[in-house]
Amino acid sequence: MRDKTHMEQVERWALFVKNHKRSEWIKHVKPLIDSQINMADRFYQKLKKQKNGMEKIRRLKERD
Amino acid sequence: MAVNRSVSDKTLLDKFVEDFTAVVGRHCKYVVVSGFVAIAHGRSRGTEDVDLIVEKIGVKEFEALFKDLAKNGFECIQPGTPEEVYTDYLLEDASIRFVRKGSFVPEMELKLAKDPLDEYQIKKRVRLPLTGLNVYYSSIETNIAFKEEYLKSDKDLEDARHLRIIYAGKIDEKEVIKIKKMIKRYRLR
Repeated sequence: MRDKTHMEQVERWALFVKNHKRSEWIKHVKPLIDSQINMADRFYQKLKKQKNGMEKIRRLKERD
Repeated sequence: MAVNRSVSDKTLLDKFVEDFTAVVGRHCKYVVVSGFVAIAHGRSRGTEDVDLIVEKIGVKEFEALFKDLAKNGFECIQPGTPEEVYTDYLLEDASIRFVRKGSFVPEMELKLAKDPLDEYQIKKRVRLPLTGLNVYYSSIETNIAFKEEYLKSDKDLEDARHLRIIYAGKIDEKEVIKIKKMIKRYRLR
């Protein structure tokens, strides 16, 4: 269980989103989301090149 | 309602979901559910997959959808012909996953509606203008109910709290209670 400061931060951010236009809050969120996708894909592409890479990816994906 | 905005303010996830659902929407009714609903409302977290429920289509309709997705650059991770994938996974109430060809993430996790609760979500599907995306979602009440009553992880409870703040004063609490009762009936028996 995360401590209560984590939920407090979630609430602060939700209030920011609620009180600002999408064009404002997306500037903060887009780099995070795009980076996460790009980094994850880069990782899988590297893993694919390893010996038994596709099998490792399959096993990783099965855990999701 | 089409959304007219510049491409640059959409995330990679946004574009993936819009492109994928544009194809699906030509073949059947669908709803985007769960984590992406909160993320599309500005929730500050990542995800590698997006959950999609489609109405219970037959194998022929699925074959046409499958081929249209392939034509538009999406590939199914599960091996086999469309008919095999339909029989081996979808008819078994398992989900199948699609990615853009050559990529590993994000993934679209697609499943057929399996019970009256899924059918209800599709029946009550909505566009959510605050997300800025031209996509059908399950209702905010449905997402809150699932996250508070069924999923319940820290991440899910935070998603629900985020949505409750964004839609404060606009949430139909009777509808949330109704869906929680349906969850107990169809998912927690």
